[in-house]
Amino acid sequence: MKRLRLDRWTGQLLVARPPTSTPLRYARPGAVCARLAPRRQQSTAIATQLSTSSDGFDYDRFPPLEPLPPTATSLPSPTPDRALKSARLAALHARLSLPEKLPLQTLARTLVDSSADENPQFNNSNLAFVGQTLINYHVAEWLMVRYPRLPMAILWAAMAAYSGPAPLFQIAQSWGVKSAAAPGGEVDPGLLQFSLEGLNPSDRKFGYSRLEVERKHKFRHSISSGVIFDDDYGQLIFDGKTGVEQKEPTADENGGDQTPSHMSYGDEKTRLLAEQAHAKFVRALVGSIYAHCGRDTVRAFIKSHVMSRTLDISTLFQFKSPTRELAMLCEREDFEPPIARLLSETGRHSRTPVFVVGIFSGKDKLGEAAGPSLDAARWKAAMNALKAWYLYSPGEHVRVPSDMLVSDARPWEPAHIDIGEVISF
Amino acid sequence: MTIRAVKTAVSIGRNGVGGSFILQCQKMDFHYCDWFGSSKGMNGFIKSLLPKFAAAHPQIEITVSPRPNKHPVIIGHYINGKQKAICTRNMEPLQILKKVELLRDASGEKNRRITKPVQSINPSVRGVWSPYHGEGITV
Repeated sequence: MKRLRLDRWTGQLLVARPPTSTPLRYARPGAVCARLAPRRQQSTAIATQLSTSSDGFDYDRFPPLEPLPPTATSLPSPTPDRALKSARLAALHARLSLPEKLPLQTLARTLVDSSADENPQFNNSNLAFVGQTLINYHVAEWLMVRYPRLPMAILWAAMAAYSGPAPLFQIAQSWGVKSAAAPGGEVDPGLLQFSLEGLNPSDRKFGYSRLEVERKHKFRHSISSGVIFDDDYGQLIFDGKTGVEQKEPTADENGGDQTPSHMSYGDEKTRLLAEQAHAKFVRALVGSIYAHCGRDTVRAFIKSHVMSRTLDISTLFQFKSPTRELAMLCEREDFEPPIARLLSETGRHSRTPVFVVGIFSGKDKLGEAAGPSLDAARWKAAMNALKAWYLYSPGEHVRVPSDMLVSDARPWEPAHIDIGEVISF
Repeated sequence: MTIRAVKTAVSIGRNGVGGSFILQCQKMDFHYCDWFGSSKGMNGFIKSLLPKFAAAHPQIEITVSPRPNKHPVIIGHYINGKQKAICTRNMEPLQILKKVELLRDASGEKNRRITKPVQSINPSVRGVWSPYHGEGITV
C-alpha cells in the first residue's frame, strides 16, 4: 500500500496552511489557523463550534486544526491550558496508569526540558531533582539490603544500571514518548521538548565539583572521597566553568551557524543530550507523582517501572587479583587459608585441555571453575568464590527501611549490612 | 582496589513482568471516504462502535480523517516505531472491530512463527550439563 502522507493532505483538505498560501475562502474571521506552523500534525482534539459557512465550505466535516493563541509561536514552551487538548498527552497519562490526581498540565510540564524553556516555573528542573533523589533513594536502599556485601564500585555500577540516564532513557522510550524536532510554544504538549543547542549552564548535576580537577593533572580518586563528593553513581561532577566533561557542542562542530539544530540528529553529542532529556523527563514525572499523590504512590511507581527491570549483578564484576583477595578474605573472616585442588582434568597434552579446579578452605569448597589451563581455572574458581561471597542475599523479598513509613508496619528488624570489599585500596 | 565494575551495563526491561504493563499500540488512524461504497462499513463503525472503543482504551490515541477516493484503512502505530495497516474495504462494522482489536493486541513486531511456548531471559534452573562432574562413564 502506498504510504499516506498525512502532513501533505492535511494541507490540502484541512485549513492548516501558512499564512501566505491561505486561500480566501479559508481565511474566515475568527479562524486563527493562519498562525499554525507547517510542521504541526493533525489532531482530533477539536472542540470549536463551527458550521457550514456562507462560502459553501463544510467546516463541520473538515474542521481547522486546534486554534492556537496568537502569541503561541513566540513562547518557548506550550501554555499549560493547551495540555488539556492534546490527545497524545492524554494517551500517555492513560498508558502509564497515572493517578487522576496528577493533572495533565503537570504532565505537560515534565516534558519541557530546561534547554527548551529556561523559566524554572515552566520547565521540569525542580521536579526532576525531586524525582532523582526519590529514584536513587529507593534503588539504593533496595540494593543495599538485598545484596549487603556488594563492594562500593559494584553498588555504584548497579545503581547506574537501574537508575542512571541510560536505563531511564530506555524507560521513557518504552513509554512511547517522542520528542519534538525543535522546542517552541506551538508544538504538541505531548512531545518531549529539548534543545540541541547545548546544556543550559544553570542546569548542572547536583553535588560537589572537585577543586583537584582544575588544579591537578592527576589525583587520587578514592572510593571514600567518591562517596562524599561524587554523584550517586560514583562519577565525577564537573562544574560548568571547568568544562572538562560537559563540553557544549559549539557551532563549528555542528557545521556552522547556518545549520539548523535538527540537522545534527544522530551525532554523538545530540544523542547524549537526548538521553539526558529523556532521563530528566522520567525523573520529573516521578517528582510530580510525589508532589501530587504522595509517598506511597511514588514508591509503587518506582517499583513497577524502575526496580522491576532485571540486571545480572554478577556480570558487573571485574577482578584484578582474585586469588590474593580471596586469601585476604579468608584471613579477615578467620577461615582456613584457601587451597586450590584439581578436581578433574582431560586432555592435558591435547590442543584443548580442560581442568576443573576447586578452591577449598579446610573441608569447605568455596568455589569451582573449569578452564583451559591450571592457572586460568584457579583464577576463575577464585572469582566464583568471591562472587559467591559478595552476592550473598538474604532473599528476594527483604524489608527495606522505607517499609516502615506505612502506618501499620511491623517493628523493624535491623538489616544485615556487611563492611563491603575486602581490599579497598 | 582489585574490584572494578563494568560501567556499561544497563538493566533490561520486561514489559508486564514484575511491573506495569504498557500497551504497545499507541495510536490508531482511521481513514474513510464518503463517496466510495467500500467505506460504508467503516463509516458505520466510526459512528457506532468507535466511540465505545475509544472510551474503553484511553491509552490509544485515535485520529479519524478522510481519505477521499480511496479504500478505508486502519493504521496502528506501535511503541517500537513500526506501523501496521489494514485495509477494511467492504467490511461490516463488526468485522472492522475484530481488525481493530487485532491491531490493539499486536506488539508491533513483525509476524514470525513461534515454536516454543515460553521465551525467557532467566538462566536455566537446572544448569548446563557438564561432562566433568558426576560419576562419569567408564568405557
